[in-house]
Amino acid sequence: MAFDSKEREELRRKFHAYATTRDRALRDDLVTAHMGLAEYLARRFTNRGEPLDDLVQVAALGLLKAVDRFDPERGLEFSTYATPTIVGELKRHFRDKGWAVRVPRRVQELHLRLGSVVSILSQELGRSPTIGEIAKSAAVSEEEVLEAIEAGHAYRFTSLDAPSGNDDEMSLSAELGSEDQGLIDSEHRVTLSPLIAQFPPRERMILHLRFFEGLTQSEIAGRLGISQMHVSRLLARALAQLRTQAEDN
Amino acid sequence: MATGEVRLELPAAPEFLRISRLMAAGVASRVGFTLDEVEDLRIAIDEVCFSMVGPRGRAGTITLRYRLDADHLVVEGAGQFSDGLSNEPVVSALSNQILAAVVDECELSAGEEGPRFRLVKRHRPS
Repeated sequence: MAFDSKEREELRRKFHAYATTRDRALRDDLVTAHMGLAEYLARRFTNRGEPLDDLVQVAALGLLKAVDRFDPERGLEFSTYATPTIVGELKRHFRDKGWAVRVPRRVQELHLRLGSVVSILSQELGRSPTIGEIAKSAAVSEEEVLEAIEAGHAYRFTSLDAPSGNDDEMSLSAELGSEDQGLIDSEHRVTLSPLIAQFPPRERMILHLRFFEGLTQSEIAGRLGISQMHVSRLLARALAQLRTQAEDN
Repeated sequence: MATGEVRLELPAAPEFLRISRLMAAGVASRVGFTLDEVEDLRIAIDEVCFSMVGPRGRAGTITLRYRLDADHLVVEGAGQFSDGLSNEPVVSALSNQILAAVVDECELSAGEEGPRFRLVKRHRPS
């Protein structure tokens, strides 16, 4: 996170420009320049049973909010201003979207371990592995595997903080090819219900590919370059969120 | 491969749906379903059971029958509700879309004491 004086000056200039223009490209630059801070803070939360890539996403969202709200006129260092916002976002993630309290630690750990076990097996077999194959490879019982997979569905929502669609457009462009992005932009807005349209791009993409395009979870994992267990968690979380939303309406 | 039937009766409340999902996954793994298929089935059971009990649950129980065959699994569910509310299934367009994507067949109907469903998931060896 150490910037030299020239970079510092450049960032200060961009913050000032962004404060008046609200230019998207500037905002993306500022977010990208400070991703190191988001990653650093996300790492401090990795001992709580959530995978780092999820946490970095959450931290990036906090960073984005901080960039949006930062007032360069007040003379505060951006990192000083942003840290509590990012940490707040991470804490809220654990409070609202974390594991249900009753998932025991060993189950959480197995769940996370299965992420790579499943990825390796899928590659070796050229197809989605069976529960028996996963159990054998991870040297645990089938029941333990089932329990660990189910743990990924153990999200609960105390409240819905509706993701505001374009909040992580930035991380999307880093993750998805232009073809996918085009798909989201044109087709989705028309075909998806407004409920789905409110999700951040990656969740929207996963919901679309699974439920509208009929891709399997492992195919989606391959396409987005994340583990199948991660796809499974994101789907479970999105479905839980859709429900809370339907309930609120 | 073992065939047979497993039955489960649960209070009609959302907090019990976890058991219905676990049972679905457990039975499906007996027939050698892949993780993709198990995940789909889990989503289907959750979706369809939630549509029966709703966010606050209903007075009564739901009964689930998991019938396993060589290459497919049939799950039949029925609500036994005593709250006098409608016995018609209520499923949103989005839920229908989800169910159509994750299982091979899904029928919902009104039963004597509550909504009923029947879904089929086939195992596709690759």
